[in-house]
Amino acid sequence: MEKLKKGNVDNLKLKFIDNVVWVLLLIGIVVFIILKPTYFNPFTNMGLYLNIPMQASVMGVMTIGLAGTILLGDIDLSCVGIMSVSAAVGILLFKTSHVPVPVAIIAILLMGGLLGFVNGVLIAKLKAVALIETLAMNTTLAGVVLAITRGRTITINEKAYTAVGQGKLFSTIPYLVIIFILIYILMYFVWNRTPLGRSLFVVGGNAKCARVSGINVDKIRIMAFTISGLMAGLAGLMLSSKMGSINSVFGSSYSMDIIAAAVIGGTSLAGGIGKVSGVLGGVLLLNFVQVGLQVFGMDSYYVQAATGLIILLAVLIDSFRIRLANKE
Amino acid sequence: MEKDIILEVEHIDKNFGKTCALKDASFSIKKGSIHSLVGKNGAGKSTIVNIIAGVYRQTSGDITFEGMSIGHLSFKERQDMGIRLVTQHASVVLDLDVAENIFLGLWPKNKARLVDRRLMHENAQKILDEYGLKVDPYELVRKLTPVEQRKLNIIRAMFGGGKLIILDEPTTSLSIEDRNNLFRFVRHHAEHGVAFILISHYLEEILQVSSEITVLRDGRVYSGNMEQGSTSDKEMELAKLIAGEDVELTYRNKDKKVSEEVVVKCEGISAKFLESTDFQIHRGEIVGFVGFSGSGARELCLALYGMIKKKSGKVTVCGKETDIKSPTDALKYKICLVPNDRHAEGIVPIMSVKENIGFSCLRTSLLGRFGLLDRRKETALAEDFVKRLAIKTQSIYATSGSLSGGNQQKVVLAKVLAVNSTLLILDEPTIGIDIKSREEIMGLIKELTNEGMSVIYLTNDFEELLRIVDRVVIFSEGKIVGNMKNENLTSDMIVNIRDRRTL
Repeated sequence: MEKLKKGNVDNLKLKFIDNVVWVLLLIGIVVFIILKPTYFNPFTNMGLYLNIPMQASVMGVMTIGLAGTILLGDIDLSCVGIMSVSAAVGILLFKTSHVPVPVAIIAILLMGGLLGFVNGVLIAKLKAVALIETLAMNTTLAGVVLAITRGRTITINEKAYTAVGQGKLFSTIPYLVIIFILIYILMYFVWNRTPLGRSLFVVGGNAKCARVSGINVDKIRIMAFTISGLMAGLAGLMLSSKMGSINSVFGSSYSMDIIAAAVIGGTSLAGGIGKVSGVLGGVLLLNFVQVGLQVFGMDSYYVQAATGLIILLAVLIDSFRIRLANKE
Repeated sequence: MEKDIILEVEHIDKNFGKTCALKDASFSIKKGSIHSLVGKNGAGKSTIVNIIAGVYRQTSGDITFEGMSIGHLSFKERQDMGIRLVTQHASVVLDLDVAENIFLGLWPKNKARLVDRRLMHENAQKILDEYGLKVDPYELVRKLTPVEQRKLNIIRAMFGGGKLIILDEPTTSLSIEDRNNLFRFVRHHAEHGVAFILISHYLEEILQVSSEITVLRDGRVYSGNMEQGSTSDKEMELAKLIAGEDVELTYRNKDKKVSEEVVVKCEGISAKFLESTDFQIHRGEIVGFVGFSGSGARELCLALYGMIKKKSGKVTVCGKETDIKSPTDALKYKICLVPNDRHAEGIVPIMSVKENIGFSCLRTSLLGRFGLLDRRKETALAEDFVKRLAIKTQSIYATSGSLSGGNQQKVVLAKVLAVNSTLLILDEPTIGIDIKSREEIMGLIKELTNEGMSVIYLTNDFEELLRIVDRVVIFSEGKIVGNMKNENLTSDMIVNIRDRRTL
């Protein structure tokens, strides 16, 4: 009987850890309300909470793409590089070559997807180690962005372009939030209901078994990195049109945030485990904490330190989950 | 208490939650004996050895070692007393050398607190001489043969006062020659006073080597010692005791007519370790492949399935010429493979039984509307196979890692059968599986070939092979050296043909 109870306790613990991100989010909200009731009271200052999805949208779109590669047991460190290069190329297209804005938007997405595809081919076919390959890709792309912008800020005056990031549907819901939600619904279906999504889990869980079972492992890898690149491109579009400009450090603050959000959201770095809803929770948690700390007037450098701590926490939780799951 | 008894297990009960894993288990182990534990998967073999070694704590009862009660001692304390557990998967570090492995964690240090490599290798040489293993202490363990690696593992358990060595399935995936070799080694040390507990599924080898046999069935202990009778009689009797009922061995129908229709035809196929070979298999035929590793038997299977690169040759499936470069391609022609290493290649342990069964049909039969997986079909498929193969699992949603070995293998089998294959390649499908599951699996294979599926059966268990296959193909040094109908064949004949060229 004692063992049964213990087994149940372990199961409960696993359940708890799988959803720990929502618990943390709740704790965060409660703590902030206690510390500064006037500001964080959801009844009097609803706007603060409604603003979170808007804040989170760009980063959220990137994170779900990245999470797909973590699911494989790999990682994509080139998201920010792909994001800024795609956006820069698209903007140059309509600013200097006078290409129509919608065409430039498509070009941004294609550029993101293409760079992700290149990552995928190098990793799947040429067996480059994902960690270093994507890091190299990121450094390369960061250099390209510097070359394009020459360290200056390029402002965007085209209303058709900035409407995506600044406009609202029926003047209430920002387009960015709509994109954010649609992408997560789409990804939910991709992860849970398509052969591609299932294959991601199989490859991450046991790549050898996936191959013997007839799953085209290389193709799945390439697809995951292509999606990650595509999402990064989309995020680049969203952020540049929201800010109305790009510069050489465009989006660089996201580089660690997205990893933190994916991992605290329950995507196991060992591969094979993860949920779209968990990633969403991770994205919301990270944004809430960052907004909250800024409200307290905390220096942005400390906010970055807080992000680092969240990653540390996430990695520890991940290792704890693996140990718990491996117990007989 | 008798003087020569080294370990006494007294009325051990062990409950895991509601399940009772062991009920009033008592037996004793004599000094210098080889004591075998046999039973189905989940009968309690692992549980009892883990209790003896101190990994689990018993619910009630006690264990006495050399007259001292040790029921309350930890794993480490028991290890120091001389109870050593050698686990199923060889736990050697492949990229360290022999001496480093022997002293793993106990490396002798010199004055500067650095590892004294010279002293270590000298001591290792002494130990190797003492235990009679002829390998160079400087050799990398990766370069040793599998049987040498296992011996090394056993030596590591024995040296420094090992008195009771527990061997958990030490012969899995060894050839018959290697098994005999390993047992000579074990028996030699038993004669010098070390006691062994042996867990194995091979009844033949158990009857050969053990001094006592204990059978575990549903957590209860039965004596499996048999006084007289021929080996095959004893084996039959032991099998009955293990299963708790008569196990019906699967035999091919003697009057089976194999269809003339050629399903898969290879012409001049070659790969690494495989010279240009012709081979064909008929509809509904079971062909047994025999050969040492590196002889070309496994290589032909893997090349056919696209796991390794074909150097040359043409493969025709049902009259259509194919270009199979990967398992994904092979699946398109309905060629399937059950891999030899279930843990590494067969299942994804963290995913559910249901998901595992569907792996090979994600883009075919399970694909529903809008490119989405048909969840109802997936559930139905899994439920159907769990019933048909009698897979013991809490539900189809349980993780496949939580099942016993035999049931995991059934999940692998379900996965490939879900494809409705034309040709099924089985690479040692019954390794590490209890007799009942084994016969169930073999019976199922027989049944499916009657419905028109063809099977390549790769195994080194000749007894099993000869009971079920229609034809035997023997490989040696990359060539087919024998290809004959299974009529009046014996294991000895196969061995002779296989070794004729190597002798």
